[in-house]
Amino acid sequence: MTLDGNSSMPRSGFTDRILRRGPLEAIATMIIAAGVVMLMQPFFLMLYSWSFATTLFGTVMFTLVSKVRE
Amino acid sequence: MSLANAAHSVVEPSVGTRRFAGSLVVLYAVITMIPLVWIVLTSFKSPDDAISYPPRILFTPSLEGYCNLFTTRSRQTPEFIKTLGPPQGLCDNIARDRNMVIAGPSNYVPRFVNSLIIAFGSTVLAVALGTLSAYGFSRFRVPLKDDLLFFILSTRMMPPIAVAIPIYLMYRTLGLSDTRLGMILLYTSVNVSLAVWLLKGFIDEIPREYEEAAMIDGYTRFQAFVKVVLPQATTGIAATAIFCLIFAWNEYAFAVLLTSGNAQTAPPFIPIIIGEGGQDWPAVAAGTTFFLVPIVVFTVLLRKHLLRGITFGAVRK
Amino acid sequence: MNDLSTSSQITYRAVLVEPGVVRRIRGLSDKSLAWLFITPTIVLLLAINIFPLVWTIYLSFTNYRANRPNAPTLWLGTDWYQSILTDPDIWAAMQVTAHFVIWTVVIETVLGFGLAFLIDKKFRGHGVWTTIILLPMMLSPAVVGNFWTFLYQPQIGLFNYLVAFVTGRSASSFQMLGDVTLSPWAIVIVDAWMWTPYVMLICLAGLRSIPDYIYEAAEVDRASNWRQFWSITLPMALPFIMLAVLFRGIENFKMFDMVNLLTGGGPGSTTEVASITLKRAAFESWRTGYSSAFAIILFVTVFGLANIYVKALNRVKSR
Repeated sequence: MTLDGNSSMPRSGFTDRILRRGPLEAIATMIIAAGVVMLMQPFFLMLYSWSFATTLFGTVMFTLVSKVRE
Repeated sequence: MSLANAAHSVVEPSVGTRRFAGSLVVLYAVITMIPLVWIVLTSFKSPDDAISYPPRILFTPSLEGYCNLFTTRSRQTPEFIKTLGPPQGLCDNIARDRNMVIAGPSNYVPRFVNSLIIAFGSTVLAVALGTLSAYGFSRFRVPLKDDLLFFILSTRMMPPIAVAIPIYLMYRTLGLSDTRLGMILLYTSVNVSLAVWLLKGFIDEIPREYEEAAMIDGYTRFQAFVKVVLPQATTGIAATAIFCLIFAWNEYAFAVLLTSGNAQTAPPFIPIIIGEGGQDWPAVAAGTTFFLVPIVVFTVLLRKHLLRGITFGAVRK
Repeated sequence: MNDLSTSSQITYRAVLVEPGVVRRIRGLSDKSLAWLFITPTIVLLLAINIFPLVWTIYLSFTNYRANRPNAPTLWLGTDWYQSILTDPDIWAAMQVTAHFVIWTVVIETVLGFGLAFLIDKKFRGHGVWTTIILLPMMLSPAVVGNFWTFLYQPQIGLFNYLVAFVTGRSASSFQMLGDVTLSPWAIVIVDAWMWTPYVMLICLAGLRSIPDYIYEAAEVDRASNWRQFWSITLPMALPFIMLAVLFRGIENFKMFDMVNLLTGGGPGSTTEVASITLKRAAFESWRTGYSSAFAIILFVTVFGLANIYVKALNRVKSR
């Protein structure tokens, strides 16, 4: 996933850079994608069992993260 | 730019490339049309021609499929048929050749009428609500705008069966099950999301200056909306309406789960047209042809706006 | 009317004199108008989409059965979720869905992008042929899907005849809809036939959004056609392809109408995609609580994907 470019921003502290919308949104996207893959993969019943919780977590995170400042 | 597009631009494909590309696309188009052509052909076949092997491309056309679509028939003995008067009309003639008597009209026409009423009703409602909301979202600062827009879109994305379970219970309680009103409301709620998103795109394109000029001329905001924005948005509204119409016309999942008789539309009805000994394919094909023709016309009318419609107004070409 | 316009005229003049006050007045009326315009839509959606959704969430924690409305309703907590998420049969249905989603999306993307690439060469008459290609996706999946059962008939069906004609096998030697190995492909074929045009249309928009000067620059640098395709065409069309893939993925994940009419989930449960399982549980076994829980699981998945879809949509929009 490409993240939003922030080349114009001055370099700032670690937490400041991580707790921004772009990266957090990308992480949430990954979690949702992982949940969907877990739901439909044919290999481990265990992963299937946890897929719903994963997708739900990713979706809630995505919704919350979209409120974080840009 | 104009220089680049001149006769020998470097990016223009050569004649050979174009011919090659063209022939491949035409080949695909021809293959993709086969099932549709086959539907129309089958609708004009007699039942025997329809199920012959190998499949017949040349055959004597017959209207039996259409007759069977619109009538119900009962089998009678030849002696009984002789006692009847001369056959009335073409369909009667065809039926009597098969030792049948027309018993009455079939359910296809009422189902078709249901489809019309429900599709048009929900379209009018969805476009009316959608135009207002789209204008609101386009011109005013609405708190939580993006969330509301996403909420509106996400309602369209819901799996129909998941929605159908509580709707079924709700309609049963409210006495709306198997009523046209219930189906109109349901389709409106599905279509309104598309209408809002599409129309917001169209209204965004109308310069605000037009309304502002009108308001300077003494119109109120509402008058400016009615007299300036609506006429400018006519094309967009028409395109949106056709999209809503097509969705409501084609919808099957809600229709098959929530209607059984009264308010049943054509899509759940066509597959259950059965003749003696299995499906009456010419009649099914006739019903399908009848049902698809308006959509084909609309698609041709709408071809410039299709892209917008399928991307919820995001891609405008 | 006359009075009205005069008063606005006065307001307008007042703008010149005292902008702040009037803007506040006008802003207020705009605000109420905005809510007046938006509220009906929101109310309708709340009544017909959100209220039922909340009700489904409630039902998913109970043992309610729609065919026994008067039986006492017991609170079961997350029992249904646990039983669904450990049920190998439902897991199998998810894999049937996966097979359907993956193959349709792959075929539609390859064919759709290929077609868009060819149409973008702007040969003579490309507009007409494009419209013809687009037809299948506008038609009712149910009505057309139903007709495909006729094309798939073993002896008399056109599909079998054409396959037999090309491959030399006997037309009655295989059953697209009755065979355990073939029926999952039968639904893939119909879906690909219907929705390839959809992907094609979006890819075409992607290809047309690439400005000519980039290709011209590449020509000046003597980049080969092959190189141009991989380093310009594909990357620049990628957001559009992603959009099409996501949307087809979501739509096919919840596919119901076409599969229901073509195979109804059969033979056995080889084509029983998630929506069919859900419909059987909800409207044939009437296990309303159980199916509500399943519906919520499907809904959350679709909702999560819809979030990603809208993100992709916005990315394309900014182009």
